[in-house]
Amino acid sequence: MYRYDEFDAAFVMGRTAQFADQVKRRLSGEMTEEQFRPLRLMNGLYLQLHAYMLRIAVPYGTLSGKQMRMFAHIARTYDRGYGHFTTRQNIQFNWPRLKDIPAILEELASVEMHAIQTSGNCIRNVTADHFAGAAADEIIDPRPIAEILRQWSSLHPEFSYLPRKFKIAVTGAPNDRAAIRFHDIGLQAATNAAGDIGWEVWVGGGLGRTPMIGKLINSYVPNEHLLAYLESIMRVYNRYGRRDNKYKARIKILVHEEGLETIKGQVEAEFAEVRGGVLTLPAEEVDRITAYFAPPAFKTQPATKIDVAYQSIIDPAYGRWLDHNINSHREPGYVSVTISLKPVGGAPGDATDKQMDDIADIAERYGFDELRVTHEQNLVLPHVAISDLRAVYEALVATGFADGNTGLITDMICCPGLDFCALANARSIPLAQEISRKFAEPKRQAEIGELKIKISGCINACGHHHVGHIGILGVEKKGGELYQITLGGDATEQAAVGKIIGPGFEAEHVPGAIETLVDTYIARRESADETFIQAYRRLGEAPFKEALYGNA
Amino acid sequence: MAMPKLAHTPAAQDKLRSLGILALNGMFDEMDAVGVLRYAVSDVLPGDLAIVSSFGADSAVLLHLVAQVDPSMPVYFLQTGKHFTETLDYVETLKKHLGLINVHAIHPSPDDVKRFDPTGNLWETDPDSCCHIRKTEPLEPITEQYGGWVTGRKRFQTRERGVLPHFELTSDDRIKVNPLAYFTDADVNQYKIDHGLPEHPLFGKGYKSIGCAPCTSVVAEGEDPRAGRWRGLNKKECGIHFDFNGAIASPMTAATKPTLWKDGGFIADPFHEWTEADEPATASYKHVPLPVFLANRDAFLVTQHPLGLLVVPGDNIEQVEADLGRFVSVAIKFPAFSDGRGYSTARLLSERYHYANEIRAIGDILQDQIPLMRRCGFNAFVVTHEPTREALIENRLPEVALFYQPVGTTEIPVGTRPFLRRVL
Ligand code: HEM
Ligand code: SF4
Ligand code: SF4
Repeated sequence: MYRYDEFDAAFVMGRTAQFADQVKRRLSGEMTEEQFRPLRLMNGLYLQLHAYMLRIAVPYGTLSGKQMRMFAHIARTYDRGYGHFTTRQNIQFNWPRLKDIPAILEELASVEMHAIQTSGNCIRNVTADHFAGAAADEIIDPRPIAEILRQWSSLHPEFSYLPRKFKIAVTGAPNDRAAIRFHDIGLQAATNAAGDIGWEVWVGGGLGRTPMIGKLINSYVPNEHLLAYLESIMRVYNRYGRRDNKYKARIKILVHEEGLETIKGQVEAEFAEVRGGVLTLPAEEVDRITAYFAPPAFKTQPATKIDVAYQSIIDPAYGRWLDHNINSHREPGYVSVTISLKPVGGAPGDATDKQMDDIADIAERYGFDELRVTHEQNLVLPHVAISDLRAVYEALVATGFADGNTGLITDMICCPGLDFCALANARSIPLAQEISRKFAEPKRQAEIGELKIKISGCINACGHHHVGHIGILGVEKKGGELYQITLGGDATEQAAVGKIIGPGFEAEHVPGAIETLVDTYIARRESADETFIQAYRRLGEAPFKEALYGNA
Repeated sequence: MAMPKLAHTPAAQDKLRSLGILALNGMFDEMDAVGVLRYAVSDVLPGDLAIVSSFGADSAVLLHLVAQVDPSMPVYFLQTGKHFTETLDYVETLKKHLGLINVHAIHPSPDDVKRFDPTGNLWETDPDSCCHIRKTEPLEPITEQYGGWVTGRKRFQTRERGVLPHFELTSDDRIKVNPLAYFTDADVNQYKIDHGLPEHPLFGKGYKSIGCAPCTSVVAEGEDPRAGRWRGLNKKECGIHFDFNGAIASPMTAATKPTLWKDGGFIADPFHEWTEADEPATASYKHVPLPVFLANRDAFLVTQHPLGLLVVPGDNIEQVEADLGRFVSVAIKFPAFSDGRGYSTARLLSERYHYANEIRAIGDILQDQIPLMRRCGFNAFVVTHEPTREALIENRLPEVALFYQPVGTTEIPVGTRPFLRRVL
């Protein structure tokens, strides 16, 4: 894991002191809320429906037990005893008081954490594959580059007042678990003819009110030129991105309106000027940062096979957990474990202080002190010895986060919605809870198989509904909450934006509608191996539409 | 700039030691300019007092006092060789009108001029050096001869002069006598009228503070009189300001609050906004909007007047790349603090086009943005927001002094490790 050196520590302390001063000026009335707004936003401090919300960066989703414990401490001391893990691999606290913010930031700094650039129109916290450095299918660990990007983009003087927020995601594996095609810039590890590893650069993806799939702007940029290339994209965007309409200000609109070729021409022209300049990344620097992410000291493990079928008979819940929450590891004898933050009836992504403390214990005891936050709002223990799985499972049972439902229908992404968010049209958490109760039966979930439901309370798409196999969107409607259903979205390398299937549903009818879709799928699938999304691709929307609305 | 080397003057020291500067300053009514000057001449430094006059718009008042008290007091005039002919005429007019019999012109060393300013254009490229060879150097041997000087400085002129007394002891133990210390602008004008003093011929044409011809321009109605001096060059003060007649060599600070922050201080802004009425042929010290410049490029390029360029978001700085040498200042407009296009513009100007003159930020600027702007190449800021002004003056901008990414022309990484880190 990356460890701060003195410079990083001083940087964060400097930034914390700066923000403490800004908070002081706000509290004393020297600054108006209007003037304070852009400043607090640069520090992850939102004004929500009821209170301030503080969003803390978890760089590329990686954190240690000590850092998790700090979250627990903050939840306990400054908030209402819980935190909310987000789709951007961050954590949010929903009830901090403004006067406590400087203290919170100071405490965070003591464990090398901060809230810098978790909001505002700047380059946001860089996200990455949550199995980075562990996954069997990985070409290269994306975190060293993500860390270099974090440093390069921190308080960047030119790019702190962009037309709109800017999100970068990186993956080192061909199976895209970081949704890089739905980011402003997505980087995917690529190998050139000489066998060197560099990066495919995807640009102009995004969700929100105009979902777009990113476009490949360069199929191979070597490490050496990556910063210069990204700075070129940023400059083109900063200069030409639309600022007349905040709904058209993301780079996706610029790429869409100007066309990829035009943007590519501008980026290449800019790159020709800056290439080879001060941003040329020395190999030694990449090596230096990479050293921080050296794999932990794995031990040679006895060749253990996980016998899911056997365990399922002995202990069905454990069997399900093994079946769904384990990801293969590149190191023999090890796996990655997903800790589901989606217990039936819970608020997706929420964890209490006690739960966070317990998870920190588990990570320290069984997981080389490493944790990840996933964009699907779960946590991951990236390195667990197969021989420790039972012990880890039992420890998780005690926390209440042992559901073996990863990737299943109850593993929903869900935005805060009307319960917290000032922009919401509708509630989303209660709806997710309804649905998860409806499909609580484990057998039923297993029968349905992989199915990603994603829920947003409004068109801003914080809940990624566009890329849900089934997406649910709260829309405006006089006198009530109405939900639109989309089908066929996919956040992976097979990127697709879901299509609206028909008129919306009242809240109480949504779980039933989901059930109808699920039943239709089960009735029409070729075999239990054909997943929902595969069946949808084969069948098209017609049978689903008919099932929902009849063939009027 | 070298300070004039002054000889030790026991006379002045002794005088002050016996009188005490405080006592001296308590002796006279605030407006009793004649009394102050008469006492200085007769009691403080008899025969050891002189005056340097610019023979500018306001010089007549002090010279009139001198003529009343002692028409034979030495009056030095810096004949820089760059004066308006009107000023030279005015020297003669005043001499005759007031009956001054001891006026001397001081000339720069012909060798220096030949060596440092062979084309006569030094004022344009390096006004500090120009002043140095034309004013500071020639004056040095003269100042050494006297124990004290009479100046025309006034309290109202500048912030620093707000506490100006009648008598001052300088750091080198000379005495400065400021008979007009308490005079306001109106007092000066009234005095001129009451005594029927002849006006400088250019005064009526809008020149309120008159120095050398190339460095003086017309001052707008209501503007600080000194705003016309060294317009556009952001030259703050002449090398000799600290001792002598304020009218010759005054800091360009304004009585009204200046809003241009540059080189660590607020200074009077020589520039004006471009208006519909402006003409390319005559425009001077205007920030010309980029499209206007492009539409009249040839006309602007043939003139010599100092010009600035106004760049607003959406303008493409590339279009004037070849003409940047024409501008002494580029103003980059921030219509809203959230519009960050200007940061890219500034970086292109300074890093890609190596534009080294003033790059100023104008418009909606938050104090928290200034450190970022500086890193992008801005070196001047027009600031009206009061808390931001105070923060600048007190040098407590909220900034993080460490940064990761190399930006700008001075942040080139040294070596390769640690690659991205810099400390301000
Ligand atoms: C509660 C207060 C929140 C507010 C006011 C808010 C506001 C917004 C807005 C305005 C957008 C649209 C931006 C655009 O497309 O230009 C957006 C997008 C997004 N937000 Fe939030 N959000 C909130 C909470 C969250 C949470 C809790 C998460 C994570 C679970 C999140 C993650 C995202 C993501 C991933 C997008 C995706 C759209 C994209 O990147 O294109 N937001 N949010
Ligand atoms: S999707 Fe809408 S309702 Fe949900 S958190 Fe984002 S802005 Fe709020
Ligand atoms: S006033 Fe102008 S010309 Fe005269 S000496 Fe100074 S800079 Fe040179």
